[in-house]
Amino acid sequence: MKLNSNITAPLGGNNPVVVQILGICSALAVTVKLEPAVVMGLSVIFVTAFANLVMSLLRNGIPSRIRIIVQLVVIATLVILVDQVLRAFAYDVSKQLSVYVGLIITNCIVMGRVEAYALGHKPWESLLDGIGNGLGYALILVIVAFFRELFGSGTLFGIDIIARFGYVGNSLMLFPPMALIIVGCIIWVHRSFNKDLQEK
Amino acid sequence: MAINKNSNAYIIMYTVVMVVVVATLLTFAATSLKDRQNANAENEKKSAIMAALGMAGGSTEQAVKDFDEMIVPALIVDGVFTPQYDETGEAYDAKPVLDKLADLKGLAAAENELPIFKYEKDDAVRYVIPVSGKGLWDSIWGYIALKEDGNTIAGAVFGHKGETPGLGAEIATPAHQSEYVDQQLFDDNGNFVSVKLVKGGATPGSKHEVDAITGGTKTSDGVTLMLKNGLSKYEGFLRTLSATAAEDTTLADDAVSEPALDEAFDAETIDVKPTNVEEE
Repeated sequence: MKLNSNITAPLGGNNPVVVQILGICSALAVTVKLEPAVVMGLSVIFVTAFANLVMSLLRNGIPSRIRIIVQLVVIATLVILVDQVLRAFAYDVSKQLSVYVGLIITNCIVMGRVEAYALGHKPWESLLDGIGNGLGYALILVIVAFFRELFGSGTLFGIDIIARFGYVGNSLMLFPPMALIIVGCIIWVHRSFNKDLQEK
Repeated sequence: MAINKNSNAYIIMYTVVMVVVVATLLTFAATSLKDRQNANAENEKKSAIMAALGMAGGSTEQAVKDFDEMIVPALIVDGVFTPQYDETGEAYDAKPVLDKLADLKGLAAAENELPIFKYEKDDAVRYVIPVSGKGLWDSIWGYIALKEDGNTIAGAVFGHKGETPGLGAEIATPAHQSEYVDQQLFDDNGNFVSVKLVKGGATPGSKHEVDAITGGTKTSDGVTLMLKNGLSKYEGFLRTLSATAAEDTTLADDAVSEPALDEAFDAETIDVKPTNVEEE
């Protein structure tokens, strides 16, 4: 079924982070701990889903000359809404995410999907595509954050997992370069399972 | 269709409608969430104040509850400790005091109303003084808990907006904050000296120095300046506290003459200028 593949493709063979290499910078910044990574992932899912939906609904009325401006306004509005809601209901997490919530605006995945998919497809398909790509991004974030928090602090979601056995947190894991290395490892594993992605 | 989507008239109409819709939506969201956001910011301050007292509790909720139960929010009006009550006059109202924290630096000009938080339980009295200043990159702030004598530090917490992680950001760690405990603001002669962060390490046994942050010299200097500027505004009030404390000690020793008592009493209630009662 085509619609299902809108959701599943970004999780596997066409992942926006490890295949299209989009949204890397925020993936490095918010993956020190699992909790902010999950919240960031949910925020991006919300933004990609609704940006795709709204732009798909508007696609026949948008003057093509100001297309990009309209996209930016819609995306920025959604991001500000997410930021406001987080500040009201998840204050601690929103402080940890700091500017990176606002920077969802510049996340290439959001605008990339709007431009490449939503402007040419029906609302329902676009919504699914947005959710799928958001999920694909969130998945990588959570995997990276899992390793960084587990080996960096010995905890998961702040709950002591291996630190109690005398594990001393490896602070190298907490630095951004380690996120890049983990993303690299994920890409490596991912390509070894998806032979068609390997470059000759 | 007859409408030309690339005509200027259409584009202008389109943008106007879009901007109005978006502006309405965002205004609605911002105003409806504002109360909650402000409450969050307020709770954060309350919980930092409890942390300065060494009673951070397990959660923000617990700290806020403790704050509401145990803390007397007050303003130092012309050197006199003035608790703030709500309209009923029965319960304390922390809001006017917490609101002052937003612009501590601006208070330098109008020094006649300074925010302070008093904790009183089981015979222990603590005063928490908020301070704010500038680090290397952005603003830094802190809460200094003082003992009853208005001189000895019982605890300190610091926060920062964007100091370098691992370097300047270390001011917000318990390891650094614990160094301030038992430091003193006044020297033996009763002069206000504040507490300095000393590069290369504090002089052993010093009551007015703590170790600066390695690799965070500018942030450390910022903290030194913040403490000096912030706490010096309270100097007059703190002197009345030390005068009272000195009076209490001498009373306990049962070796105080009537005139000395009067003098100390005057110092406590009216005089905010240096009194040097300590020297007696």
